[in-house]
Amino acid sequence: MGQIEWAMWANEQALASGLILITGGIVATAGRFTQWYFGAYSIVAGVFVCLLEYPRGKRKKGSTMERCGQKYMTAVVKLFGPLTRNYYIRAVLHLLLSVPAGFLLATILGTACLAIASGIYLLAAVRGEQWTPIEPKPQERPQVGGTIKQPPSNPPPRPPAEARKKPSEEEAAAEGPSAGPQDNPIPVTDDVV
Amino acid sequence: MSWSLSVRCSSWLYLVIFSKSVIRNICLGLCLSRASASVLNLNCSLILLPMCRTLLAYLRGSQKVPSRRTRRLLDKSRTFHITCGVTICIFSGVHVAAHLVNALSFSVNYSEDFVELNAARYQDEDPRKLLFTTVPGLTGVCMVVVLFLMITASTYAIRVSNYDIFWYTHNLFFVFYMLLMLHVSGGLLKYQTNLDTHPPGCINLNRTSSQNISLPEYFSEHFHEPFPEGFSKSEEFAQNTFVKICVEEPRFQANFPQTWLWISGPLCLYCAERLYRYIRSNKPVTIISVISHPSDVMEIRMVKENFKARPGQYIILHCPSVSALENHPFTLTMCPTETKSTFGVHLKIVGDWTERFRDLLLPPSSQDSEILPFIQSRNYPKLYIDGPFGSPFEESLNYEVSLCVAGGIGVTPFASILNTLLDDWKPYKLRRLYFIWVCRDIQSFCWFADLLCVLHNKFWQENRPDYVNIQLYLSRTDGIQIIGEKYHILNSRLFIGRPRWKLLFDEIAKCNRGKTVGVFCCGPNSLSKTLHKLSNQNNSYGTRFEYNKESFS
Repeated sequence: MGQIEWAMWANEQALASGLILITGGIVATAGRFTQWYFGAYSIVAGVFVCLLEYPRGKRKKGSTMERCGQKYMTAVVKLFGPLTRNYYIRAVLHLLLSVPAGFLLATILGTACLAIASGIYLLAAVRGEQWTPIEPKPQERPQVGGTIKQPPSNPPPRPPAEARKKPSEEEAAAEGPSAGPQDNPIPVTDDVV
Repeated sequence: MSWSLSVRCSSWLYLVIFSKSVIRNICLGLCLSRASASVLNLNCSLILLPMCRTLLAYLRGSQKVPSRRTRRLLDKSRTFHITCGVTICIFSGVHVAAHLVNALSFSVNYSEDFVELNAARYQDEDPRKLLFTTVPGLTGVCMVVVLFLMITASTYAIRVSNYDIFWYTHNLFFVFYMLLMLHVSGGLLKYQTNLDTHPPGCINLNRTSSQNISLPEYFSEHFHEPFPEGFSKSEEFAQNTFVKICVEEPRFQANFPQTWLWISGPLCLYCAERLYRYIRSNKPVTIISVISHPSDVMEIRMVKENFKARPGQYIILHCPSVSALENHPFTLTMCPTETKSTFGVHLKIVGDWTERFRDLLLPPSSQDSEILPFIQSRNYPKLYIDGPFGSPFEESLNYEVSLCVAGGIGVTPFASILNTLLDDWKPYKLRRLYFIWVCRDIQSFCWFADLLCVLHNKFWQENRPDYVNIQLYLSRTDGIQIIGEKYHILNSRLFIGRPRWKLLFDEIAKCNRGKTVGVFCCGPNSLSKTLHKLSNQNNSYGTRFEYNKESFS
């Protein structure tokens, strides 16, 4: 249990709650319930939460799966620095956002779900987790010719690589690969058997 | 397939209700909620069935399921479970939205005539109060919260990174089912008990005519007697023979909750299976030996009485000294036979559970030595196993020709197949096995080098040299390229670099014209996808490749 990263789960929950808020808000404003302006608020809050939570944070250990197209939102979220990095702030923010939606029946589920997500973010913050953006890896340029090894300098029969390395290291230290007198590991005869 | 079943079920029910009722503004919400409830009934009952793993393993091995197509359906059990889960999620959303609209309508359209039918207690009752103070409302809200927790923890990203969260929240399903049973016991749906004395559309002589007009248009939630199609007020007054006189007031009684019938069967089955598994796994195994292999692999050999397993099956290990709550699945590499009852698993050490397990079994000081002396056995921790459970790899012995591709530690299911063939190959349908093993590290081949050599020699002695065709591939091209001095059989079958699958498939197709070749792959996803694609392509030799897919988490 000690290795669980709660922030990832809280992120999924917050994203789902955002979607629930949007749906509830649409139902409320379309149905022209009384106090339908809460529904409009809920749609706006839902969109904001979805955008904030879309970029997934980086895991401490191992590779993280990125969401499709998240690098654009990562750049935006990164701009706010400590406001988005710190999970305490996110927990409080989600709690505050969820409260007004609780007054209307259609959006009350969004409130409950976002409140739970806020609680899990608090747990993640208490355990010292932080949001780190997933950076794109720098492209490794393929070094042309890097894998082409020198052709063997000795004709066969050749000893295995370990035995071959030592004489070639000595040769390199002696500066200059010189095709010196050939040392055959196995005596070579010209007899036709 | 199940998706279309759900949609058909719901649309049927929707049309039934819709056609049997007169349109009112509360009808849409009610129709949607009833239709989605019926879909939810179906899915909540079906979703438990793929999780009865012992039952599925039994079906797979029993003689009653002779068709290979049916056994291949069992391979898809996890996908079926996920499909049902997604359907439950979507239709719960529909159900909740529809009921929220209903809650509002019930409070606004409170009916004085049929007091018992109302869900609200008085006119214009606050719908939020309706939601939280009635049994169905409160249980419904709790169920949505539980479902929300379960679904957010079941996404692919969470399962891959933090399997624990998924596992622990998924066990909340039991709470969900208890709440579901309570949810439908609220008695909201009612049917009329005295239809003979108060048939629908009858005239109550004591009431005023205006109230009488509103009666037939009132939609009450009873499904037994439909209103006659095309009923209208003018017809009723014109044709006196159709006029019925109400003898007494209508009486309503709550419907028997249908959901109980739907979910009780699978729930009882699942609980029985869990109980059976618990009883069966309560006795610890006796560890015979622990062997340390190169490349972070450990082999454990053990015995347990009355343990029977088929090659290709897997077991779940539970070691309370390592972790009280976690258990992990491992494929059996050696199955118990009639002559010897030892069975074994090979574990690769990745992650904290396997590391701690290895430290308990092989104390760090002696990790360099290969085999521990028998004296150490009294210090072994208690180990419990659950299983064996079935997997698609069992099917490889039932094809005449099989192609088995293993990537790294994925060789374990095939190791048990090879061990079984070493024991006795004649009872099975298999006549030719192509075994391809791709590894990154040359040392990995040492895990089963002895087994492969012994098997090859045995078939050579029995004059069946083409029974097993071994090809080993070393995907990392630098480093040592010889397995070991004594394994010349394997060294001559070792290729450097990745296999060229298209050529391999063509070669197999050419040598086995017109036959059906079973393709099995245990390795990384990319490998699995490549093989699946190649298996589905046609070839000019008339050979059919059937890809058997294993789904891991």
